[in-house]
Amino acid sequence: MKQDFLKFPFHLIVHPFDGFWDMKFEGKGKMRVALAILAFVVLSVILQKQFAGFLVNFVDPRTLNSLNDLAYTALPFFLFCVSNWSITTLMEGEGKFKEIVMAAGYALLPLAVVNLPMTFISRFMTQEETAFYWLLNSFAAVWFVYLLFVGIMTVHQYTPAKTVLTLALTVIVMGFIVFLGTLAFSLGLQIYWFIVDVYREILFRT
Amino acid sequence: MKRTKALLIAAVAALLAAAGAPAASASAPYEAYTYNYYHDAVPLPAPFLPEQAVTGRSLGVGDFNQPNDLFVTEDGIIYVLDSGNARIIKLDSGWNVLHVYKTFKHDGKEDGFANPGGLFVSGRKEIYVADTDHHRVVVLADDGKLVRIVEHPTSEILPANFQFTPLKVTADRADRLFVVARGVFEGIMQFDEQGAFIGYAGTIKVSPSLADRLWRRLATGAQKRQMELFIPTEFSSVDIDDKGFVYATTIDVNSEETIKRLNPSGQDVIKRFGYYANKGDILYRRIGNNSGPSKFVDIKVLDGGIYVALDSNRARLFAYDDEGELLYAFGGRGSQLGVFNTPVAVERIGDRLAVLDRGKNNIAVFRPTKFGELVNRATALHYSGNDAEAVGLWRQVLQLNANYDIAYTGIGKSLLMQKKNKEAMQYFKLGMQRKYYSIAYKRYRREVMKAHFGAFMTVLLCLVAAFIAYRTVRKVRWRRPRSREAGFS
Repeated sequence: MKQDFLKFPFHLIVHPFDGFWDMKFEGKGKMRVALAILAFVVLSVILQKQFAGFLVNFVDPRTLNSLNDLAYTALPFFLFCVSNWSITTLMEGEGKFKEIVMAAGYALLPLAVVNLPMTFISRFMTQEETAFYWLLNSFAAVWFVYLLFVGIMTVHQYTPAKTVLTLALTVIVMGFIVFLGTLAFSLGLQIYWFIVDVYREILFRT
Repeated sequence: MKRTKALLIAAVAALLAAAGAPAASASAPYEAYTYNYYHDAVPLPAPFLPEQAVTGRSLGVGDFNQPNDLFVTEDGIIYVLDSGNARIIKLDSGWNVLHVYKTFKHDGKEDGFANPGGLFVSGRKEIYVADTDHHRVVVLADDGKLVRIVEHPTSEILPANFQFTPLKVTADRADRLFVVARGVFEGIMQFDEQGAFIGYAGTIKVSPSLADRLWRRLATGAQKRQMELFIPTEFSSVDIDDKGFVYATTIDVNSEETIKRLNPSGQDVIKRFGYYANKGDILYRRIGNNSGPSKFVDIKVLDGGIYVALDSNRARLFAYDDEGELLYAFGGRGSQLGVFNTPVAVERIGDRLAVLDRGKNNIAVFRPTKFGELVNRATALHYSGNDAEAVGLWRQVLQLNANYDIAYTGIGKSLLMQKKNKEAMQYFKLGMQRKYYSIAYKRYRREVMKAHFGAFMTVLLCLVAAFIAYRTVRKVRWRRPRSREAGFS
């Protein structure tokens, strides 16, 4: 338990090459840990929006919605995994879908680990000190991107250049999926309303 | 059945009572508002209510014809520039006609005005008239005698064929003239007391956008000549406060700085510390009816650093405090009393406001409501540094309108002065003032740290000691079996 949930993830985020290698080839990563980290990140986003100090919190309290935070964090995550999997299967990536989800999930850990304490500390900051808040938050974001990069590279056994290429393509594919999804949704709605209209016409015909 | 009936009657009675109650406050034909931190227009209780409309006929001098300007002196003498009739009507504060200026002796001949655009009356009751179509500024004494005429300005910075067409005029205590003239983009024209042109004030900087500059680079010479010049906009009106600072408005669609306060050397020193630029409406339609940013045609400085700007686009009045926070906005277009057709000038008569309407040919007079009066007085007190006194008024304002951010900020500032940092923090949070909140918080944090320094250090030292003890114990325990093991081998 301690090994799975604490030692290995924290070892991974500071030794990413080693950690991701162990995850892929030594079977050290666990799906439920990755999903737990994702849940942790969602929680940190919700808490940050709600409880970050007044000086750093620019969120309009009327727009706070935890379900939206959940959707806007978890959906892009899975969208990324699906797109990356679609691209890398075509580009000789060695990673399975499960491994992609795990790599991305473990890579998210710094976001939660940095943002959560910063949310707390930000409540005790003055205007001049908020610079550290932004600095550390950006640092967490950069760390996350770096881990994601290393994770994808290790999982698929790519060269760095190819990793950059596939990540760029992943973003494009994410756009495609969103576009197709919206298209399908809108077409579906049109069919639905067409049927409803026909039904009403028949109903009022007599 | 009986019960239903009784219930129905009760319900109707409740409805009637509810409908009857706000009727008194709903007499304003407009909705007053201000903008909050989140850029929402927040409704306010009306700060001013229309009191009466004054027409030329009600004064007994015949209808106004396209009046262009209005001026009220400190002691409440009202001057109306009735441009279409080429006359100036002087009234006392009870709206009794004192004098009508129509002609004056100029070089032995009777002379008059032609479509004059602006009017100003100095402390010595000298009347300055921007006599637009005669291309001159006429200065009359109180008895209607000509004092001097300012025309044909000459200077090496003016082009040789320069046509002087004054629109608005104001003067400072040293009789220095500030003239807004048509077709002059360089700024407000300044004249000395002899009437000699001495230069421009408040030159508007133009900085073409990056895209504009890129286009310019790519364009050929012929294309460049076809392009619009980057010309700053003209000023639309001027007013002067009691410290000699000139307030001016410009009509510029793309500018955030349509209200300026010029110091004696002509630089813009207005404060823009509000949540957003002091340019009138910040939410408006981009296209269609009633669209576009506010177009200020007149400005009046009231007491306590408050200034009121008149927007001709949506016919509204915007009052700002000296820091550039929108206190309230009200007015609108329409035919009722209190809304305007073509408002051209705003003036202050005591604590009342008067708006001259060229389209309706009348003057609408507004009296402050309790809310408006409280806000004005509190703002003035804050401006003069009497924050402690202002607090009581701000609290009354909050009773009338709990959504008034400026009141929270005002109370917060006063509390900060009194070193009540924790309460101040609360009020600054309500007023969404991050900068002041930070100051209050910094002081509060230091206070708390000072108060609890002993306890804090004790806990810290105990923790450090405990940690050291823990490490030593672990080390000893860890070393013992190893030494035993060594003994075994």
